Amino acid sequence: MVVVWDWPLRLFHWTLAASVLVAWFTPNIYDTVHRIAGYTVLGLIAFRLIWGFAGTRYSRFRSFIRFLRAAPGFLWGLGHGRTGRYLGLNPAGAAMSVTLLVLLAISTISGWMQVTVRFFGVAWVEDLHTYSSDLAMILVVVHVLGVLTMCVLQRENLVRAMITGRKRDRGD
Amino acid sequence: MKALIKASMVVGVSLSVFGAVPVWADGFKDCTKLDKASWKPASEAEAKAKSLGYEVRRSKIEGSCYEVYGVKEGKLFELFYSPEDLSLKKTIAK
Repeated sequence: MVVVWDWPLRLFHWTLAASVLVAWFTPNIYDTVHRIAGYTVLGLIAFRLIWGFAGTRYSRFRSFIRFLRAAPGFLWGLGHGRTGRYLGLNPAGAAMSVTLLVLLAISTISGWMQVTVRFFGVAWVEDLHTYSSDLAMILVVVHVLGVLTMCVLQRENLVRAMITGRKRDRGD
Repeated sequence: MKALIKASMVVGVSLSVFGAVPVWADGFKDCTKLDKASWKPASEAEAKAKSLGYEVRRSKIEGSCYEVYGVKEGKLFELFYSPEDLSLKKTIAK
């Protein structure tokens, strides 16, 4: 077994997941909770940007760029039952990670704008918040299904790996 | 293997369509049972908010209410008016 995900990344992942879920179920009715969850998400995104440069190997963005280019080919191969095993994120995972971070940034910033005097009641800000949040949630579902699919295909518990940080070494 | 991927895609799409619609995301929305054709115009609800000293940003229909976005002394409010008699049903400070 090797350590793949460092502990700050794991903590980031699960607090982000929890905050996004809380935010999803609380708009309009539980305003304060919704806001705290949103600001938490925004803070976590800021941390992730720093960690993309300062974190350990598999947390860094450097490998992401190569993977982003490889993502369409990887997905095509996956559709035909061909997958490679990646110790860190696979190309589709890297693409999902970046897309989700960008969408959540749009969602939280537009949500925050909605409660400023300058942008209160402005229709496009409201729409941007609604649609970016809906799209992010759809991608969360796709992300979970993608992870579960890879768990089966590679016979490896990736959820546990995101908790313990450890994965099977190459070649095992 | 292909079947599995297809199955998860089907589940994913249905979850996205049915699960991602925030039906629980409604706030205040019941103001009248009156038929929409007999509603008073939204501009009158906006005028009422203005007369209370709010700077009106916009109004929209929320359920059977007119929701007016108002700013007063740098604070944000959502005012819910009944389209039936333009009575103020609820004021929510944002």
